[in-house]
Amino acid sequence: MTLARLRRQSIGYALIAPAMLVAIVFLFVPMIVSAFWSFTEYNGVRPPTWVGLDNYATLLGNARFQRSFWNTVAFVVMGMGLGPPLGLASALLLNRALAFRGLFRVAFFLPVMTSLVVVATIWKMLYNEGGLINTVLTAFSLPGHGWLSDPGTALPAIVVASVWQGFGFETVVFLAALGGIPRDYYDAAKVDGAGRWAQLRHVTLPGLRPTILFVYIIGIIGSFQVFDQIFVMTQGGPVNATRTLVFHLYDKFNSLDLGEASAVAYFLFVVLASLSWIQFRFFGERE
Amino acid sequence: MNRLTRPAVALAALALAVSACGSAASPSPTSPPATQAPATQGPATEAPVETPAPSIDTTPVTITVWDYYGEATPVKPALDGFQVAYPWITVKYEALDWDSMNEKFAVGVSAGAAPDVATLDMTWIPTLASNGVLEDLSALSGGMLNGAPIAEQYEPGGNEAMQYEGAYVTMLFDFDVYALYYRADQLESKGIAIPKTWDDLRAAAKALAEDTNNDGKPDRYLYQVWPDTFHWAQFLFQNDGSILTADKTAAAFNSPEGVAALEFYKSLIDDGSGIYWGPDQGDQMAAFKDDTIGMFQNGPYVMGLLKSGAPEMAGKWKVALAPYSKQPGSYLGGTGLGIPVAAAHKQAAWLFIQYMLRPEQQVGVFTYAGAAPATTAALESPELTKADPYFGGDAPFGVFLEAMKTATHFPYVKAWSEIQTPTIDDAVAAALLGQSSAQDALDSAAEETNSLLEK
Repeated sequence: MTLARLRRQSIGYALIAPAMLVAIVFLFVPMIVSAFWSFTEYNGVRPPTWVGLDNYATLLGNARFQRSFWNTVAFVVMGMGLGPPLGLASALLLNRALAFRGLFRVAFFLPVMTSLVVVATIWKMLYNEGGLINTVLTAFSLPGHGWLSDPGTALPAIVVASVWQGFGFETVVFLAALGGIPRDYYDAAKVDGAGRWAQLRHVTLPGLRPTILFVYIIGIIGSFQVFDQIFVMTQGGPVNATRTLVFHLYDKFNSLDLGEASAVAYFLFVVLASLSWIQFRFFGERE
Repeated sequence: MNRLTRPAVALAALALAVSACGSAASPSPTSPPATQAPATQGPATEAPVETPAPSIDTTPVTITVWDYYGEATPVKPALDGFQVAYPWITVKYEALDWDSMNEKFAVGVSAGAAPDVATLDMTWIPTLASNGVLEDLSALSGGMLNGAPIAEQYEPGGNEAMQYEGAYVTMLFDFDVYALYYRADQLESKGIAIPKTWDDLRAAAKALAEDTNNDGKPDRYLYQVWPDTFHWAQFLFQNDGSILTADKTAAAFNSPEGVAALEFYKSLIDDGSGIYWGPDQGDQMAAFKDDTIGMFQNGPYVMGLLKSGAPEMAGKWKVALAPYSKQPGSYLGGTGLGIPVAAAHKQAAWLFIQYMLRPEQQVGVFTYAGAAPATTAALESPELTKADPYFGGDAPFGVFLEAMKTATHFPYVKAWSEIQTPTIDDAVAAALLGQSSAQDALDSAAEETNSLLEK
């Protein structure tokens, strides 16, 4: 290694040192300590007692935790089934020469910049028995509904609010990616007689493959961590219908059961790491 | 836990918490042995400087106080008087809110950043005390509060509620028991007698409810049915039921008394006279104002809410003892003042608690927050016993004081917070929503409760 190269690397290490230090102190050390807690009975006051895999065994055998897991999966499936396609559709529309295109872009992105708590509060008001949604239904002689009180509609209602809040982000990401697909590809496709649908299928979607992968990885990770909306709108109810993994963690933490709370956190970590690996392995490799 | 691992542990607690906030207490001198400060009389702002007992450490200290009362707090107005009375103690006052206090307190405790004094909901005490979070106030106080035995300054129920395994772990600052709030103007105009039994309540609720849009469903003057442990427990206790067995080792709420209580509670919805108060019902105060709610059971703090939120309804509401089936009964809760075991300045914190429990500060619980002070001396003060024009010239505090005599606090077991929410809460909601029968819902919750108790 030459002296000049060593000097260059030293400068690089010096520049990343502050960020590394912050990551070590505020991320890696707490993660390691939390991993240790997940194998202990610990309430934050008395010294932790080693219990091995008991916390994990208790969690996996707990019906309420299982319900939390499946609710989270349902939230992810519904959210990812609606959000990215909606983001892509709006990006395709906005990518065309529309009047007020800039205004629409801002309008779509505005909810993303709004606090989730504010968004959840607004949607809770919309879902109220005397709220806008029921008022409109009643105006059309349709019966109103207790959207958040009915275990059958509470989770879908939260999904709708979450998708509304988040799809603007996907729109902006897809818009940027659409700009990166060379026009030549479309011209060549047109010469070959491809219509709009064929262009979308054979040019746009393949060109967006890395972006779609990115959107789904980020979206799935974010959806698995859903909490704010649940906390504001339903507190996990009615009857566990909207209880999710992070809400379960929150409950355990509030009960000063830091051992089980940490086990939930690591269960979530393993699920997310596995899903991300699968996505990269089967969808990212072809890039 | 040693000094090297403590910061890492604190960071891990913060990383784990969904929301976190804390404040570090200032460095601590060694706490002196238990002492008793002499009581003083007179308004808070004119409090004379205390002459400290020889055993009291008067080294200047700063104590941190966490208060969840909000804008109408009786704690903050007392600080100037405390500073005058105890000039060597500076109070670092931090206003929090009830909704987030529990998790912030948990984070503070586990991160080693607990306050010296905190307002704590009495329903949190079982979890906090059983986890060893709260200081033993019996040892710190020597059993004395402002110069008199603690037990003599509270009603028996309140005195019992402050103890965990025979030791005081909190001092009751305001109390919460349930009574029946009713629209007196409507009951009077419709010739409905104030309900005294469950049968009366069912008949009164039915006679009170109105269907204004003729859709076959009453929509005005309804009985408010909260799907939670607090509200159902009133009926359980009134039907001679209990939450756990006497030895606190198993669930007892799925007894025939408990099932009958839940079935009765549900019947108020089934016959159309009650309204299920779920998350999409909106603002409770709006429902009081627009006449959606005609009756409900709740604690004395709602008197303050009504007065400040609906002053135009003066004279329309009154309070009566809750109707019962076999015996009067209510849960007993409220706000306690507690000192975490990790508090830096326990002696100064205890002086602060004593100051807040003097009659003149206790009256502030009523005058500022509209809630019910806990000490008997305060309850007998003229401010609380005088007629209240808002409640039709009645003295409603007397009703709550009467209810307190037969009230029961929730069981002091380690798993209580999980037994209450979500276990029993879910059972009550499932039965009220018709997802399962009262018996099945309570049996399922009892099974979960038993496994929580075994843990």
